[in-house]
Amino acid sequence: MRHNPLSSEAEAFRFLGVVILGAIVIVAAAYLNTWLGVAAAVVVIAAVVRWVRG
Amino acid sequence: MAVHAEQLEHHGPPPPHYSSRISPPVLGMFLFIGSEIMLFGAFFTAYFFVRVAAGTPWPTPPFQLPVYVAFVNTAILVTSSATVHWALQSIKRGNVWGLRAGLLLTFLMGLTFLISQVAEYLRIGFNTSDGAFPTIFFCLTGLHGAHVFVGLSILLFMTIRAYRGHFSAEHHHGVEIAGIYWHFVDVMWIVVYTTVYIL
Repeated sequence: MRHNPLSSEAEAFRFLGVVILGAIVIVAAAYLNTWLGVAAAVVVIAAVVRWVRG
Repeated sequence: MAVHAEQLEHHGPPPPHYSSRISPPVLGMFLFIGSEIMLFGAFFTAYFFVRVAAGTPWPTPPFQLPVYVAFVNTAILVTSSATVHWALQSIKRGNVWGLRAGLLLTFLMGLTFLISQVAEYLRIGFNTSDGAFPTIFFCLTGLHGAHVFVGLSILLFMTIRAYRGHFSAEHHHGVEIAGIYWHFVDVMWIVVYTTVYIL
């Protein structure tokens, strides 16, 4: 079942936590190399989309 | 003919039926945020076009981005999301003072973010007329700043209503919807910060 990350304030806050974790991964990868950061962004976005889709 | 008392008390059309498990106000905010994501998407398309398709160096020399000031701003905004969540959890337990303190802290942190961003604009050393890089930078961060301003306006109203005693453990829909919008503004900033300042 599709997961709605904004169905309530608590869900939106949880989604924010997921985005923060994703951003930390991207920033850490980008610190090593810009293109590694881009690759990390693609992977993180795919993971978040997969999480939202359930 | 017997008429029920509640039928006598009710004025206007009957309440609408809805099949969604989400309440109509939350669904409305959800759809509004959907349109906002499309708006930000248009600006991000311009950003990626300039940076990737046109191959513009980022940031274009000799300009530099205030990465560390923006990082502090990011920390402030993330903390403000935690305080608005605390405010909602407080009123769900009937703690009115927790709600008031949470909303006031959130508003003050949001205001700090906005003032800090305006101060950074004033001393950043480039302007929209200096090329594609500054234009996209100001468009993306400015669009987000406008959303922070809207969020602050909503938070101000909610804070005033909280001090007037409009919310209770049973009735706090306004706080919940304002919280969803504020978390969205925070998520968008994390995306803007990561793509514009870090990558």
